[in-house]
Amino acid sequence: MNNLSIFRLGRIVAISLVLSTSAAQATTLVATVNGMVCALCAQGIEKKLRALNSTQDVYVNLGQKVVAAQIKDGQKMDETAFRALIKDAGYDVAALQSVEKTAAQIKTEMKTKK
Amino acid sequence: MNFVRCVRLTCVAAAFCIPLANAGPMGFSGSTMSMGDFGPNWRELFANHALTSRDAVGAEVLFMRSDDGRREREMAGVTYTRLVSRWNAPDSQANVWFVGGVSAVRGNDFNGTRLMFTPGIQLDYETTRVYVSALGRLYRARGINHDYGSVRAGFSFWEAEYDEIQPWFVLEARRMRNLSDKPEITPMLRLISKNYFVELGVNTARQARFNFMYVF
Repeated sequence: MNNLSIFRLGRIVAISLVLSTSAAQATTLVATVNGMVCALCAQGIEKKLRALNSTQDVYVNLGQKVVAAQIKDGQKMDETAFRALIKDAGYDVAALQSVEKTAAQIKTEMKTKK
Repeated sequence: MNFVRCVRLTCVAAAFCIPLANAGPMGFSGSTMSMGDFGPNWRELFANHALTSRDAVGAEVLFMRSDDGRREREMAGVTYTRLVSRWNAPDSQANVWFVGGVSAVRGNDFNGTRLMFTPGIQLDYETTRVYVSALGRLYRARGINHDYGSVRAGFSFWEAEYDEIQPWFVLEARRMRNLSDKPEITPMLRLISKNYFVELGVNTARQARFNFMYVF
């Protein structure tokens, strides 16, 4: 294999990686949580979510009462279990939705809105 | 080593020997919380472990002194904390807590050690900007009545992000029967983060106070 072939092969691999990354959609469960008024209290929710095998990332926004848990690629997070976890931490889930965004993207959007 | 000293050492060890890893009297399920309240007439160290989201068991040591500095009490014991009821609203939370304990107490005006019972109720209401609470707790042993009452109210200076430290102003008034002749009033600055808070203040007797809470 000459240098040109190696260069082309490398380029194809790089393009494939970029395409596969952008095609993969991150799924995040986003809950609006009643009663979550202090960081000290919300810490329990964050720690328990991060302890789950299926959790990729967690974002908490106290002002907007939002807890977002990004699910790892190829894994699932049961919405009922997610609600139960927050309930067990002492809070109530007022609304829950699944969005195709990362926790970091949700954080950026919320900071922009603010 | 007498019983009080033994329990005191155990409690201090429990509070500080746990590796460094909520504002109710207990943390979230599975967490260990330590609290301290230090001033010339009142020094308290308290740690508990939340067995469930509503129940915690722990230990506490407490030193109390009368306003004139003549009478002193030392107590050490075990505690049980129960979240009796909670109301979650979109922008607020209210709680009723039971805090109770059994302690050994000794003093400089009586001989030996006595068994003390310390049941109490705490009520609190909190938003991201406002906090109010009231605590009533009995401190009863044979021939001793040091029932305790406190009220607290505070506000945060601004909203903070979850990962930021939020400063609060907190005003506390408290009194202990047969030790304080008048309520102790302390304005304090509270800095709260997601796993700790510290409070610094000077009371109306010009005594410095320092409080902390840390959740592991």
